[in-house]
Amino acid sequence: MTKSYKEVAALSDVSLRVEPGVTGLLGPNGSGKSTLIKSLLGLVQTQQGSGSVLGMEWPQRVREIRDQVGYLPEDDCYIAGLNGIESVAFMAHLAGLPGTEGLRRAHEICDFCDIGEERYRPVESYSTGMRQKLKFAQALVHDPPFLILDEPTTGLDPDQRESMLRRIRTLYRTHGKSILLSTHILPDVRSVCDQVIMLVGGEVRIIDTLENLSRPAEPTVQIAIYGDSAPLMQRLQNDGFSVIEESDGSLRVAGIDTDQIPELWQKAAETGTSVRRLTPAMNSLDEIFFHAASETELR
Amino acid sequence: MPVHDLGYRSWEGRRTPRILRPLFVAQSGVSLVWRRRWLRTMLMLAWLPIILPAFGIFAFEYSATEPGMRQVVVQVLSGPFQRPDLAQQAISDPALVRHEVWTMLILTFFRYPQLSAMVLLVGLIAPMLVSYDLRSKAYLLYFSRPLSPSEYILGKAAVVWFFLGMIVTIPALLLYVIGILLSPDLSVIGETWDIPLRILGASVVLLVPTTAVAMCYSSSTSESRYASFAWFATWILGFVAYQFLTFMNVQRPPRRRRGGPDWQELNVDFDRYRLLSPYHTLGKVEAWVFGLDPTEGSVWPAMCLLLIIAVAGFWIVRRRIIARLSV
Repeated sequence: MTKSYKEVAALSDVSLRVEPGVTGLLGPNGSGKSTLIKSLLGLVQTQQGSGSVLGMEWPQRVREIRDQVGYLPEDDCYIAGLNGIESVAFMAHLAGLPGTEGLRRAHEICDFCDIGEERYRPVESYSTGMRQKLKFAQALVHDPPFLILDEPTTGLDPDQRESMLRRIRTLYRTHGKSILLSTHILPDVRSVCDQVIMLVGGEVRIIDTLENLSRPAEPTVQIAIYGDSAPLMQRLQNDGFSVIEESDGSLRVAGIDTDQIPELWQKAAETGTSVRRLTPAMNSLDEIFFHAASETELR
Repeated sequence: MPVHDLGYRSWEGRRTPRILRPLFVAQSGVSLVWRRRWLRTMLMLAWLPIILPAFGIFAFEYSATEPGMRQVVVQVLSGPFQRPDLAQQAISDPALVRHEVWTMLILTFFRYPQLSAMVLLVGLIAPMLVSYDLRSKAYLLYFSRPLSPSEYILGKAAVVWFFLGMIVTIPALLLYVIGILLSPDLSVIGETWDIPLRILGASVVLLVPTTAVAMCYSSSTSESRYASFAWFATWILGFVAYQFLTFMNVQRPPRRRRGGPDWQELNVDFDRYRLLSPYHTLGKVEAWVFGLDPTEGSVWPAMCLLLIIAVAGFWIVRRRIIARLSV
């Protein structure tokens, strides 16, 4: 899809495939994440594009798609004058749940989203965290197979954030929902996502599984050490290994096969180094993110 | 975790047809407005003027048997309504003028107390309908569901129509029913069968353009008070401008160019300032719908103006909503 606002290209020939599961949609501010989401829902008209969502042609059947999608907007939005339970029930009714059933379902979802007695309070009086939970309940009330969550953990305290991520995991693992999670918070992505799409400057920069992205180009181990790491580092470099000292003092040794691990222990013993932990190293999501973003800036 | 919390459960059931979704928008809007006590009080007060035309119909129907009532009818028709011809006919054969008297009473009810109540009611309800949603960004929630901007507008407009129907259409229909109940026999239905249709027609004339204008103002700002101000200003300025210009025109002797066409003969509407005033424009078309237009000139300019206002008003609302979504 392609979308531009006058001279500014918001999405430039974006092409992607989202697999079932939890997919993280990453990108710096203004990278086109929200435009992509709004385009998928037909809230924004694209200049060009075609595709399918849940087997339905997009954008021709966008209203049927909306029926099957739960959307949590990033913006602080609410229906003024209604209380929490009425808001959720109203969204249920708009999605086609009949009167009393919609209200029953709204209560059920409020329980799931941990909206207690606050559900009887006007939404205007809600805190940011409560509004996030309410928007989550509204997105979920019609039991959609696909959820689009735009910054769902923004404004939540650590406990609430963990609860929200736990709910997202439950929805995927236990109930088979597919989730597109747009966020800036990289630990959230690491915590719940299987796949990552990174948008930078309106273009898809990365689209891969988190497992593939985390795997270094060559086998690498991370060695956490008690005390001074310099002797071991010197020894490994002398023996032709590529070694980098991380900011926390640990060593990152690249190009090392599994059968060379005993040799590594041997060298540590010989240099009198106490190894606290030796683990396969993973690429940091932060590095991937910054690398992709800076690559675009350089262009 | 509360004891009643069963965790997340799937929902399987039959969904309501999509065509009914605007109904939920309307239902929610009506329920929100209904919570305001002042509105409930106002609705009750808006029904009070029904007493006068109801008494008029009562007096007319009993004038055949009660000489005292006949006197009242003659006085009212000759006095406030300025129809001495009708008063004479009412004495000689009341059945002959029943239709005209009833429609005149119902039109008066429409034209004066209910039109004023309508201006007040719409000015208090409609400005908040769209502007609140713009301020709280609720449109993102509405349109994340299978609801089109047109359906949203229909749902919101239906809120205004519901309350206006309550103070205009339903009382007018009730007046008609009162007339039927007070009439000597049911053959009156045959004489007056078109009055309910005229009431519905006049209601459409009143409801649609006014709602379009009010919603247009509401969608132009996220501050409902500005929309209210614009609404009342439109009515007051239009009314004052019409009265002032008409008065000035009366003071001035008519000018006629030599050799020019005789506009009077061509049935041209000389009340050219009417279109400035929504009150008088609506009055012209309503009177025409009831078959009682006493003014000279064609009704078409007024009708065309109302149609243009309705179409343009709803079109602007739609554009404003789509523009907000695109941001």
